[in-house]
Amino acid sequence: MKIDTLVKPLMESIVAITIGVLIGAIVLTFSGFSPIEAYKALLDGALGSTYGIAMTLSSATPIILTALTFAISARTGIFNIGAEGTVYFGAIAAIILTNVVGNPLVGLLGGILLGALWSLPAAFLKVYRGVHEVISTIMFNWIAFYTVLYFVLGPLANPNDPNKTIEIPTSARLPLLMKGSELSWAFIIAILAAVISYYILWHTVLGYELRASGYNERAARYAGINPKRAIIWSFILGGLMSGLAGATEVMGRPPSYAISQGMANIHGYGFDGIGVSLVGRNHPIGIIFSGIFFGILKAGATAMQIEAGVPLEMVKVVQGIIVVAVAVPGLWDLIKKVVRR
Amino acid sequence: MKKSMFALFLIGVLAFSVVASGCIGGEKETETKTEYAGKIAIVYDVGGRGDLSFNDMAYLGASKAAKDFNLELKEVQSKQESDYLPNLRSLAKSGEYTIIIAVGFMMTDAIKQVADEFPDQKFAIIDGYVPDKPNVMSILFKENEGSALIGALAGLIAANDGKDTVGVVLGIEIPVLYKFEGGYRFGVAWAEDYYKQKEGKDVDIQILYTYTGSFTDPAKGKTAAQAQLGQGAWVIYQVAGAVGLGVFDAISEYLQSQGKEFGPPFAVGVDSAQDWIKPGVIIASMMKRVDVGVYKAVEAAVKGTFKGGIVELGLADGGVGVSTIEDIKEMLESLPEDVRAKKLEEIGVASEEELLKKIEETRKQVPDWVWDAVKELEEKIKSGEVKVPKAFNKDEIEAIRKAKDWKEMMKLAEEWESE
Repeated sequence: MKIDTLVKPLMESIVAITIGVLIGAIVLTFSGFSPIEAYKALLDGALGSTYGIAMTLSSATPIILTALTFAISARTGIFNIGAEGTVYFGAIAAIILTNVVGNPLVGLLGGILLGALWSLPAAFLKVYRGVHEVISTIMFNWIAFYTVLYFVLGPLANPNDPNKTIEIPTSARLPLLMKGSELSWAFIIAILAAVISYYILWHTVLGYELRASGYNERAARYAGINPKRAIIWSFILGGLMSGLAGATEVMGRPPSYAISQGMANIHGYGFDGIGVSLVGRNHPIGIIFSGIFFGILKAGATAMQIEAGVPLEMVKVVQGIIVVAVAVPGLWDLIKKVVRR
Repeated sequence: MKKSMFALFLIGVLAFSVVASGCIGGEKETETKTEYAGKIAIVYDVGGRGDLSFNDMAYLGASKAAKDFNLELKEVQSKQESDYLPNLRSLAKSGEYTIIIAVGFMMTDAIKQVADEFPDQKFAIIDGYVPDKPNVMSILFKENEGSALIGALAGLIAANDGKDTVGVVLGIEIPVLYKFEGGYRFGVAWAEDYYKQKEGKDVDIQILYTYTGSFTDPAKGKTAAQAQLGQGAWVIYQVAGAVGLGVFDAISEYLQSQGKEFGPPFAVGVDSAQDWIKPGVIIASMMKRVDVGVYKAVEAAVKGTFKGGIVELGLADGGVGVSTIEDIKEMLESLPEDVRAKKLEEIGVASEEELLKKIEETRKQVPDWVWDAVKELEEKIKSGEVKVPKAFNKDEIEAIRKAKDWKEMMKLAEEWESE
């Protein structure tokens, strides 16, 4: 890979972060908070202690995985926003299966398989009926929400605490990497998943086909690549990543190891993943770093409230500004690609 | 490739911190720092501040306690449920807080875990059931007692108007809500007896109850309330969070279709003084004084009387009760100026006085003797002369549903208490 293609997006990201941070500082100042104190608290809370780093990395875990879903599709020229619903299915599969066989591998595999399966309807609708994936995946997200909610409130409800499902048995939980933190093996799994995604996309024939049909469907077809096959594979690979996100989230995050009513503890990761992917320029390795960047923002939010007294709403505003600024270059790339097509 | 990327990422982080520290110098420490006797922290659930109910009431209690005991109050909101544990851990790790208060039962698991990790840190949880940790005070409310008063109010309003049906719309069927339903049933049964003794006439009031399966979907509450109105419900008690807003809507629309400004039929609010949401429609609210609970926890921690385990606040402790005009005033005054103005506009009144006048007018639709009777029941429960059963599971609520009169229910209460 040429160094130039690597440096340019990175410089862009750094400039974007700086701009975002500066605008955030201005907003903070005008709202009567000290930006230095606020940013100091953010960095200190997220990176200043081992627990802070653990918090950062554990917050990064699920969104790295859901970002991979988006990135793999985006590389294939597909705007798949179905990660949210797939996360729910991955989580419920892990809960059901580990309660049958108390082994973590079974849970992970179940999450992956159901995630991949769940992504197929949208893929087939796209390929065979021409239904736009944005429309179908949004709607599938809701189907997933209510289907899984039925299981959460009904057959899988915990008899001792009906606000959540039965728990993942202790034997099937992912061990913590650091005692007294939320950081578990799930993080390692997420990193592995990103590296594997990178390998598939850039070092296999399938990956080449995916990217080729993402660049230009017609040219790919001319070159003997079947874009339909590529699209279906991109959905499957994507679904597998989000399914894994759901499974690792319930299997690896203390304290509940279950799904709460209304999916309150696994909600939103799919959509956060889109931002992570854009900031990481839809590149699996970039996503690891942007995921950690998002993790810093999330872990820092607690410290910003406690140490700097900035209310959560304000924290969200500032973080939103930074994220938007950072996502602009990635979004710009994507728009250019879509317009060109 | 990975290496250079990582290096550049580090540069990014560096740039980030340079920018952050670059502003140093412009700032001047001008505020005079007051000396606090200590610090307390409060962690809200995802509902967060501004919910005009649970979390805002918790803030009310915490800020009052902070002022009274000269403490610095740190507030932490939670964006997602997965934030509860890190939020609590970060606070506990610092070891600076006299007490850390978790608002809402959703934090039960997180509190249990953190309490084990930091055995020297005092915690309190509102509405969460943590009976066996020496450093966690679980603050629960005797909703059954408050609901009994509402039942009595509803039953007497119906009996007075010659009606024979009242209703209750509830959220998801979880054990906590059995406390409400059981208490309500007790109150209605007590009202039947009271009315018989007063007027010499037998009344048999039927109770419609609907578990909507949601705490968040007002449309479900509306449908349920419309069905109950169709069956002649004269007062409907909502125990369903945001679903209850639909109950208020249903009754409000029903009144409009009858060309009436005031009920009956009436609705009854829950948790906070909700009367102001729809004056004319809401006759009263069952107050759950989260503020009192938070205040008591802080007080115990400051005065050294803190003990782990369950603390149940009932009528006698001021933990629950029927809303008064004073409560509504306090609620309104705790809101920021602009929020209050906006709310008043939404309701369609010009000023706070007008709103309060309308609420008083609403209450006058019910004869004084009914209010006096409710007061009488309150005193009796406070003194322990009357005991309200507390149902915790399906069997217990079924036993209450089957009981013939309030005396039989009280027997159940005594039985369960002695167990």
